[in-house]
Amino acid sequence: MNSLMSLLRGALGALTTLAVLASASHAQQPTPGGTLTMVVQPEPPTLVSAFNSAGPIGVVSTKMLEGLLTYDFDMVPKPVLAESWKVSPDGKTITFNLRKGVKWHDGRDFTSADVQFSAMKVWKELHPRGRSTFAKLTAVETPGPLVAIFKLSEASPYMMSALSGYESQVLPKHVYDGTDMAQNPANGKPVGTGPFILKEWQKGNFILLEKNPNYWDKGRPYLDKIVMRIIPDAAARSAAFETGEVLLGGFSPVPLSDVKRLEASGKFDVETRGYEYLAPIFLLEFNLKNKYLQDKRVRHAIAHAIDQNLVVKTVWYGFGKPATGPVPSVLTQFYNGNVPKYAFDPKRAEALLDEAGFPRAGGGKRFKLIHDYLPYGADYQRTAEYLKQALGKVGIDVEIRSQDTAAFLKRVYTDNDFDMSSNFFYALPDPTIGVQRIYWSKNIKKGVPFSNASGYSNPEMDRVIEATQVEHDRKARRALIDSMQVMAQDDLPVLDLFEVRFFTLASKKVQDHTLSGEGVYSSFSKVWLKK
Amino acid sequence: MKSFFRLFVRNRAAVAGAMILLGVLAMAILAPILYPDDPWDMVAEPYLAPGANPDYALGTDMMGRDLAAGIFHGARVSLLIGLVATSVALLLGVTIGALSGYYGGHVDRALMRLTELFQTIPAFLFAIVLVAIFEPSVTTIVLAIGVVSWPPVARLTRGEFLGLRSREFVLACEAMGMSDVRIILRHCLPNAAAPIIVTGSLMVATAILTEAGLAFLGLGDPNVMSWGTIIGAGREVLRSAWYVCTLPGIAILLTVLAINLVGEGLNDALNPRLRNR
Repeated sequence: MNSLMSLLRGALGALTTLAVLASASHAQQPTPGGTLTMVVQPEPPTLVSAFNSAGPIGVVSTKMLEGLLTYDFDMVPKPVLAESWKVSPDGKTITFNLRKGVKWHDGRDFTSADVQFSAMKVWKELHPRGRSTFAKLTAVETPGPLVAIFKLSEASPYMMSALSGYESQVLPKHVYDGTDMAQNPANGKPVGTGPFILKEWQKGNFILLEKNPNYWDKGRPYLDKIVMRIIPDAAARSAAFETGEVLLGGFSPVPLSDVKRLEASGKFDVETRGYEYLAPIFLLEFNLKNKYLQDKRVRHAIAHAIDQNLVVKTVWYGFGKPATGPVPSVLTQFYNGNVPKYAFDPKRAEALLDEAGFPRAGGGKRFKLIHDYLPYGADYQRTAEYLKQALGKVGIDVEIRSQDTAAFLKRVYTDNDFDMSSNFFYALPDPTIGVQRIYWSKNIKKGVPFSNASGYSNPEMDRVIEATQVEHDRKARRALIDSMQVMAQDDLPVLDLFEVRFFTLASKKVQDHTLSGEGVYSSFSKVWLKK
Repeated sequence: MKSFFRLFVRNRAAVAGAMILLGVLAMAILAPILYPDDPWDMVAEPYLAPGANPDYALGTDMMGRDLAAGIFHGARVSLLIGLVATSVALLLGVTIGALSGYYGGHVDRALMRLTELFQTIPAFLFAIVLVAIFEPSVTTIVLAIGVVSWPPVARLTRGEFLGLRSREFVLACEAMGMSDVRIILRHCLPNAAAPIIVTGSLMVATAILTEAGLAFLGLGDPNVMSWGTIIGAGREVLRSAWYVCTLPGIAILLTVLAINLVGEGLNDALNPRLRNR
């Protein structure tokens, strides 16, 4: 017994030593200076994320504008513009103590009035997700220039997960107040508090950022400049990495088929962390107005006909993980694996389709569906090609329709003129922010991208979703979210196929590019280049 | 007819072209017999190199689809699109050119201005715009290629008709009270046919290339496998699996070359002025 204990202790000691060694080798002294060249794609339409959540804007914008908080890999909030905060026991009052000595790029002081303005006038009114995230926010009180008190009509526990520099950007009140915000020239030349300042934006070519010499975090940023290159062709981006023309890119910047080759060269890091905050999930939306898809058995049959492992392994080169439901497994606090599952079983699929009253007719076809896919690249098209083959095997004739992104979004979310679409959603750190929008019947909103396009409406689901929004007790809330996942998997208005694993590709010269769950949406104030 | 064959056969290159073209035609006809399964089926492991597995002699693409099946079935699609698009272009071009050349005057001026309008837009860009607006499908691609490639035919036909219009036999027909339609179809068109056939044969090659170009840019019909589709999909893996792009590329090269050679041979055989070259 004694010897066993000493053995264990010895092993533990060895482990600790290893851990210390590992962290010591990692903690190199950052060297300031240098220019980071990176790719952003596609080119962002504007440079402010506060009321436009489109992905590429976030990559650029978060270097210049900041949020109150940031989040580590486990989604624990960390201070940025808010130094500390306190949530009242009933959850209805949140007091933020703001950082002292923060200045906007134009020299004015950052104060609680900016926070009040951003929360009430920007996030709550104009941000596509903010409208529901901050729905219960009634006022922001500013007893002092560095204190902002959020008053809520009901507890909104998910709100604390939504205060990042990408999701809820703090804008300068003196620049935006009383103007037409969407048309404000500052959207193209942001006035922020962040570590970098916009120097030049040559449309279609590059965006140049320069170090903010008055940044509140003394000694940072380390980089002198960031050049964000716009290179629309994926294969050309791959070549740019190889020649050293660009050093970093987020959101899987090169063709998945090239990753192995680039990794083997030993010159690059392929980092899949840093997307925990977004928790992207790839899914099929079924239009429940379609006369075949409105039958639950047909939707179940489609789920049985698709081999999720094959989609991940062959089509997405392993950059994903088969999903079991609407909440991705990276959201460890909310994920429920105990839900109805649909194993790959074409025979079962055929039996269900027969049972639903759609037998194989002439040519072995049961019925025809048109499939629209998000045209973000070859991987998305190959997914559509696979779905066509897989569903064809059980007698569902699928026709693939391709169009550009604007036409796709309009077709699915405005005109509702689709049968089945493939797309990906950000689940975000809390199901209330990212997941419920797909299932809530009050979110059947024409013209709002990434809303409830399937037209799914279930009073019980609505009740659970609405209860989740205001339930302050962790355990009770978890139970609600669990039941929501079960219901979603049983009704299956959308079929979650796999959790997307984006990666950041970075030259080994670039250090500390992924330090939090926000990845390339973080401010890059701590990124440095090895000489 | 006999002299046509004799003249055609005299051009060795044209005969070689005809042989290749017959080969491609055979591929297209035999595709459903040799490869009865859907060419989109994922039949083997991805990235099999050509020759690595005798069952899939030409290898497989990144989804494990048999490239040989793709190229055989692709021959059907590419040839079909080439032929139908050319027919559309010929129909438009000959009609407009014939009306313009036969009637002259205001009709001619109006139609030629229209033709010039179309000629000022670069054909391939115009095709991209049309396909992008009307969503890619075989029908829109065929129509787009047809719409962008008729102007040269119209101008050629007009030129021929202008010359024929004042010839004695046409005037004689007119004097006999023959209807315009009959004169155009029965007497002018056959006499103008030779250069139109030659141009048309070359247009098939251009149409195949245009379709491949569109598919390469992601504007192909995602439901049919043409050679361009395979190349477009394989472009991303050019560095790691060269054969996915290269093999259908060779198929396009040979087919287009063959059609050009045959066109040249047709020109020799049909154009009397060159007969004793």
